[in-house]
Amino acid sequence: MTPRARWHPWAMLAPSLVLLVVFFIVPIGVAAYESFFSWDLLTPPRYVGGANYRALFAHGEVLHVALRTLGYSAIVVAGTLSLGLALALLVDRPGAFMAIVRASVFSAYVVSWVAVALLWMWMLDGESGVVGRWIRVLRGPTAPASSVLGDPRWALVALAIVGVWKLAGYAMIIFLAELQSIPRSLLEAAALDGASPWSRFRHVTMPLLMPTATFVATTTLVTSFQAFDVVRIMTQGGPARATELFVYAIYEQIFLDLSVGRASALTMLFFGMLLALAAVQLRVWRRAAGTAR
Amino acid sequence: MIRALGGLALTGCRRARPVYRDGRIVVTFWYAFGDVVRKVLLELVARYNAAQDRVWIDAVHQGDYFEALAKLRSALAAGTAPTMSHVVCEVLPYLARAGVLEPLDAYDGASEIPFVPALDQRGAFAGASAEPRVGVPFNRSTPIAFLNGELLAEARVGAPRTWDELVDVAHRLTKPSPGGDVRWGFGVPLSWWYWAAMVGQGGGRLVESDGRVSLGDAAGEEAIRFWQRLVQTERVMRPPPGRDYQAWQSQSETFLRGGVAMMWSTTAYVRYLEDAARFPVVAAPLPRRLRASVPTGGTMFVLMRAAPAEEKGAAWDFVRWMCRDEQTIDWSTRTGYLPVTRTAVERLEARGWYRAHPNDRVAYDQLADVDPWPWAPDLFRVERDIVEPRLEDAVLGGGDAHALMDEARDEARRPA
Repeated sequence: MTPRARWHPWAMLAPSLVLLVVFFIVPIGVAAYESFFSWDLLTPPRYVGGANYRALFAHGEVLHVALRTLGYSAIVVAGTLSLGLALALLVDRPGAFMAIVRASVFSAYVVSWVAVALLWMWMLDGESGVVGRWIRVLRGPTAPASSVLGDPRWALVALAIVGVWKLAGYAMIIFLAELQSIPRSLLEAAALDGASPWSRFRHVTMPLLMPTATFVATTTLVTSFQAFDVVRIMTQGGPARATELFVYAIYEQIFLDLSVGRASALTMLFFGMLLALAAVQLRVWRRAAGTAR
Repeated sequence: MIRALGGLALTGCRRARPVYRDGRIVVTFWYAFGDVVRKVLLELVARYNAAQDRVWIDAVHQGDYFEALAKLRSALAAGTAPTMSHVVCEVLPYLARAGVLEPLDAYDGASEIPFVPALDQRGAFAGASAEPRVGVPFNRSTPIAFLNGELLAEARVGAPRTWDELVDVAHRLTKPSPGGDVRWGFGVPLSWWYWAAMVGQGGGRLVESDGRVSLGDAAGEEAIRFWQRLVQTERVMRPPPGRDYQAWQSQSETFLRGGVAMMWSTTAYVRYLEDAARFPVVAAPLPRRLRASVPTGGTMFVLMRAAPAEEKGAAWDFVRWMCRDEQTIDWSTRTGYLPVTRTAVERLEARGWYRAHPNDRVAYDQLADVDPWPWAPDLFRVERDIVEPRLEDAVLGGGDAHALMDEARDEARRPA
């Protein structure tokens, strides 16, 4: 189809382009510019060159934040994929009871992050929480903190598990939809050829689920990188900065530590990290697509 | 663009016209209290609104101190700030330097309010005598020790008067309890406020007289080592969960449950703890190391410079009303915050309040040991961005106190 005028495609694209420029390109440009200033919103900004970046790298702060964020995301993505798939396989059965189970598991995904965080804070409390008390018994009396949320070694893992709990229902539903679309004839043919249940899963179901798994991994990765509410409510980045993830660190720099320039520099570094990850992901996808052809 | 935004911030987007409702000028007041304190404040606001027909105070809750401050700064930059608010003392020099607070010296009767010197702006800060008044003491406090009277009697110990005694008493009070729980001898949130008290007790100062940010030098490091010792070596201090007021709240709840026998908290909790505890609550001054020392805490009323003059005048009327003896006494006796005027204290003495409430007396007497904050615009940045995260690093993460404080001093000297 050929446009009647050269500007027609641009007219069609204009609404999206305007939104993209106003809400994405311009803010990124402003953040990049502001990252070279020292500014607290209230007093005039002062040009400081690369001082904000130097300060972030000075004590390895940015590296720690990046590693923490990647660690959190790795647990959330791996946990959500595994648990979501396991749950999907478990509830892929007919009947009212299974429908109730499916709805119950999925309900966690519908609840707001704030409610989830408050609920888990209460459950993980080392002195009165249902889960926290058991964990404390398992960790023994010499554990350095009464609650896992107060222990720098375990707080991030605890937050990631909360993330997995919340997102597993979402992954389960997506996997379930794909599982139910796999033709029964394929599985029956494999069974007739003598394939064991594990072989059928490994060589028939899994390959067919791979595109879905990629989709779930990508969306979960995006969600995990956006983690804020759960950190804000459950740990405020502590203890000992053990749960200070990128988005929370940016919030803390700008709103609590009064440093717009430092927050902008952190934003740019986060942006750079996301770009790098997106490039890697794109490369992997292209390679996978090439192999498939 | 950033210049334009900066300029916008500086002009503060002044609202030219005041807001009126039913013929009364509306004063928007952002506050940052929950629970009992919020209830008492709202009752006082309602009383003020009913007592006259010119001004309407619209009190709006904005979360805890730090959340409220974050919102206030954003609102100031966006030109949507309230007429008045109350802010933590440490941020006052920064906001004053930014020029967003209304100078109050010229307001009617500003110099006549007989504030308790240690709680007033000029007494609460060293080097602020020449600064214009921008804050009026509102809910003011000091850190204080609270002890479970029942457990003290059981262990036959008294409130510790020195750091060494604190270790000893905490040992005697730390006990494994049924079900694998530990009853901790001592608890304190890992907060800048308590660390600053310990710096003073060790003979240190946060900022030296020549303006050098020393963070107490050896005294600052010693304070951290003492906490490390209590948590990691002696195992008599409850490792505090959470940050900011979440940690404070959690600690109070544990104390009330009997999970901590002795804690450092704020005078502001006197009434709440006394009312909620099923055991006698004993207040005591913080122990000494080389000397006694406490910082002041809480907040001061501030008026926003960018608000219309009529609103600021009306807000000042409310502030003065709150500083009258009746309100000061009501506020103080119902919450535990310190009475901010000398006349209110005299009336409380005459009424026999302190005889009947010795815990309140302890808090007031401790004012003799107050070390003022330095009037340093970077004070709040040093607190939030530099010191507080390192306290947790050291105590919960096991970091070296000297290395961390060296790093902190280095960062504090670097421009923001």
